[in-house]
Amino acid sequence: MKNRKKRSRILVYIVAYGLVAFMLIPIIWMFWVSFKPINSVVTVVSELLTPPYGVESYIRVQESSMIWRWTINSVFVAIIQTAGTLLFSSLAAFAISRIPFKGKTFVFLLILAGLMVPVEATVVPLFEMIVNLGWVNSYPALILPGIALPLGVLILKQFYDGIPNELMEAAKIDGANMFRIWWSIFLPLSRTSMAALAIFVFVQSWNNFLWPLLVANDQSMMTLPVAIPTFQSSFTTDLTVPMAANVLASIPALIFFLIFQKQIIKGVAMTGIK
Amino acid sequence: MYLFPSSLLAGGACKLSKTEGKKNKAFPKKREKISKVKKRERWKMNITAWIFLFPFVFLYLIFMVYPIIEGFIISLTTGGFGGDREFIGLSNYTTMLTDVYFWEALWNTVIFVLISTPSIVVLGLMMALLVNLGLKGTTIMRAAFFVPYMLSISVMTSIFVFIFQPYTGLLNEILQSIGLIEGEIFWLGETGLAWFSILVATLWWTVGFNMVLFLAGLQDISDEWYEAADMDGANAWQKFWHITLPSLRGVLTLVVILQSVASFKLFGQPWLMTGGGPGTSTRPLVQYIYELGFRNWNPGYASAVSYVLFLVMMIFAFIQYKLLIKKEA
Repeated sequence: MKNRKKRSRILVYIVAYGLVAFMLIPIIWMFWVSFKPINSVVTVVSELLTPPYGVESYIRVQESSMIWRWTINSVFVAIIQTAGTLLFSSLAAFAISRIPFKGKTFVFLLILAGLMVPVEATVVPLFEMIVNLGWVNSYPALILPGIALPLGVLILKQFYDGIPNELMEAAKIDGANMFRIWWSIFLPLSRTSMAALAIFVFVQSWNNFLWPLLVANDQSMMTLPVAIPTFQSSFTTDLTVPMAANVLASIPALIFFLIFQKQIIKGVAMTGIK
Repeated sequence: MYLFPSSLLAGGACKLSKTEGKKNKAFPKKREKISKVKKRERWKMNITAWIFLFPFVFLYLIFMVYPIIEGFIISLTTGGFGGDREFIGLSNYTTMLTDVYFWEALWNTVIFVLISTPSIVVLGLMMALLVNLGLKGTTIMRAAFFVPYMLSISVMTSIFVFIFQPYTGLLNEILQSIGLIEGEIFWLGETGLAWFSILVATLWWTVGFNMVLFLAGLQDISDEWYEAADMDGANAWQKFWHITLPSLRGVLTLVVILQSVASFKLFGQPWLMTGGGPGTSTRPLVQYIYELGFRNWNPGYASAVSYVLFLVMMIFAFIQYKLLIKKEA
């Protein structure tokens, strides 16, 4: 009996670490290849494991691409989108949760209905609108359509609904107006939900592909997901330079992940479940 | 990817309308004894509410509500971008019926949804269970399972193209060196293998997201259940089947719906890995929409196909919701 238990324990470990290897090998391989000299043959595993190593390929990426510009674009778009979503969603959620007004049910249902609509279904009219506005290759085009996220209003409204009314009444007696109540009671209390939402919006914006592919066709306005394939398409046999570009494009996200690992995992779980 | 809140699935929307109803009912009663001051007060509240709502609702109307309506109108027309289009009624929709490329893309999408959803959900659940066991190195395990999700889609596809491509790819090299194959396998060049490659890449990239959702669900299960089962002498499998799985039903519903929605929106992976090839055999619906709209400059037809995609997604979500919720009752 004990022996059998031990054996199954070992089996579990083998499965678990087999999966860890499956998940990590592509990433490790990306780093490894990127440090080989340009044009070196990296298919033979034994050659991969032996020097020479260097940063030639990284220098090449820097010289022949706008990698920093793309990174800045990606970070900028993601930050503004996140901040905008947090601010606007929390304002709207507060009104729906705590201020009596006419047409509240209608507004809320209208926002809920938006949850069901994938961006993929509205790209044609959205693109035409951007063209008519003359916004192709501009930050507003990249940023604004992603801000009106129904999910944000929903999550925050649910959280605000749970805040006891006494807090608000007390503040009212002290003469605080609605903005004051939102700013100094609801915002600070919802910090965890806001963080979860922020992480969700940030990751989504960082990975957005279809929309920037449509509205950013000028190299200087591209975000990383669109720019990386464009840059790599000129390398067919050499793996080192594309891999170096991949590493550079991933570093901000990987650092972000290493620092905020716990919050990110918690945040993703919360936006999905709560 | 976008999310359904679970509360919506669990009937949260109904709950809301109930409370809203109560509030609305409360109004007429009060109205009788409303003084001028109170009227002004309510007027003020309405204005305040709209100041709070304005920024969000403004963007929402422009970038969400308007495109949905405009998209339908466009789908009834023919002509290029930028105005001079001709109204043709439902012709775009009837064209679709005989368009073999549309049916191929729809078929591709549906098959991908049907294969990818269970595989990603099951592997995600397995990973969550492994992490939840508290083995040595759990932290590393959890991080390793989740970290691919942080990579941008183009980085992910680029890595996998270099893994799968012939002559210089990592996978063929490994298979050759351990003697499993001789010569080259064209992973991205044959329809079946290309789908397999797209599936593996998608699985690797997104499984961590599902794992995290399951993990949160697992941690909500009370230990007492397991202790009681231990006392009854239940084995690990029985505990999983009778305690873990039933307790995860809510999360499972959510994950299945989220994953199938994400799979329906498949675009980047085939677009960047196979270009939809060989031929058009790995082209999903979203790529077909993209090509119709922005390669062939046929916004009318592209919009019509988008609407059908939207409809198919709704039907799927509805069926899954019914199936998974019904079992619960």
